[in-house]
Amino acid sequence: MSRRRGALGRAWLQMREDPWLQGVAVSTLTVALAIVGAYLALCLNLHQAAARLATGATLMVALEDEASLERGRDLAREVAGWPEVAEVRLVGKTEALARFRQQLGPHQGLLEGLTDNPLPNALEIFLQPGLRAGPEMAGRLRSRSGVAEVVTSRPWLHRLEQGGATLASLAMALGFLLFLGVVLLVTNTVRLAVYARREQLEVLDLVGASSGYARWPFVLEAVLQALAASLLASLLVWGLLALLAAPAELPLGLDLSQLLGLDWRVPLALMGVAVLAGVLGGLLGVGRALRPRGPA
Amino acid sequence: MVLLTRVSKRYSGRPHPALEDVSLHVPPGQFVYLTGPSGAGKTTLLRLLFAAEAPSSGLVRVGGADLGRISSRQVPLLRRKVGVIFQDFKLMPLRSVFENVALALHVAGRGPNGLNGRVSEMLAQVGLADKAQVRAGELSGGEQQRVAVARALVGRPPLLLADEPTGNLDPGTATEVMRLLLQAHAQGSTILVATHDPKLLDLVEGARVVHLQAGRLLEHP
Repeated sequence: MSRRRGALGRAWLQMREDPWLQGVAVSTLTVALAIVGAYLALCLNLHQAAARLATGATLMVALEDEASLERGRDLAREVAGWPEVAEVRLVGKTEALARFRQQLGPHQGLLEGLTDNPLPNALEIFLQPGLRAGPEMAGRLRSRSGVAEVVTSRPWLHRLEQGGATLASLAMALGFLLFLGVVLLVTNTVRLAVYARREQLEVLDLVGASSGYARWPFVLEAVLQALAASLLASLLVWGLLALLAAPAELPLGLDLSQLLGLDWRVPLALMGVAVLAGVLGGLLGVGRALRPRGPA
Repeated sequence: MVLLTRVSKRYSGRPHPALEDVSLHVPPGQFVYLTGPSGAGKTTLLRLLFAAEAPSSGLVRVGGADLGRISSRQVPLLRRKVGVIFQDFKLMPLRSVFENVALALHVAGRGPNGLNGRVSEMLAQVGLADKAQVRAGELSGGEQQRVAVARALVGRPPLLLADEPTGNLDPGTATEVMRLLLQAHAQGSTILVATHDPKLLDLVEGARVVHLQAGRLLEHP
């Protein structure tokens, strides 16, 4: 104390005096924050996957039997110029049959009796992210010559979108519970620290330290521990996800490696969660233990 | 400086009061010995004076403040004006001697300019200048008590309370600690020393002696 120390300096000093306590606090917080981080990563990846599904091929335009591939190309060029359209792909009847055969898998023998290809030429239309095909756009497409049928988005996608809001609420509720868990963990860690340093605190009390003088180093210590734990937790989550994320196809065209990736926003969010939990848990932890003491 | 008027202190679950109907007036600058056997109420009386306890009844005033009505936020302010020396030192063993002594000034918001010089001066007075950077826990009992004395005196408190300050010390070190208290007294501090050691009474000429017996006060002439 050769120079005047602020609360941060005093927090650092008391942390250095008790490395064992720091080890226990940081390791338990790392595990808790790793669970939060894995949860955040999964939520974010699912959200992105859902967005990819929703902005996939949302329109299928079947051309009339008489409409030639050339007509299909003309129509594709025209539709590609529409502002809401991201991409148009022309699927010739031969390609459509090949796809169908692949989708049938072991049952593709069913197609062996066919003498002609019954499938029409078609356009797959991908919309800009966030846009959906409405009846107006379907009507515009139907009015074009050579168009036999316009199939707008798939019914399951509607159901997914309807359920999305409920899922988001559930995810937020679960996330909040996890956050509360971390706050309680920090609270108990701070109480443990207060208990371990009760003799020091008694000395501070006797020499006339204010409640804030004794209290703030504990809060800052909790924040520093939580920050360190958030960095370790990010590394832990990254390592675990990298270990689990082998390329594997999932239903709906998703890939397991996409669902188990670690977005750069997750470590940042985890740091934010850690700081907030550190402040709240720190204040709650010292709140009861270090109330200003008057005569008993 | 100190005024107790018909003060009693009872603890729940104990049949007899720790203090009963105690009245005492200590004017500024006086040196007072508080004597009596163990359990007579000496420590309780001192604890009332730095607001570690509240009286069950009666009035306790220190430096004009009524400690029976003091708010918990005002307690730290009072304690910065009252130096306290304990038999078990109450030091931070992992902090250096310098840090332990500086603590009393630091909690009061003293900046480094005044603080460093004053702490070094105080350590020189108690003969520990060469051990400023040693951890308090590594010192002998006598040295630790001198650190405690330095911490109590560094803020030049108008009132100094010492609870059995020589209880754990050999006679030579005890005399040295008493010399430091006398020095503080000479500089104007009011001093109350609780002790059950009659040999200490001869060390301070002209000191007032107040005797406590089973919580009651008997003044010696």
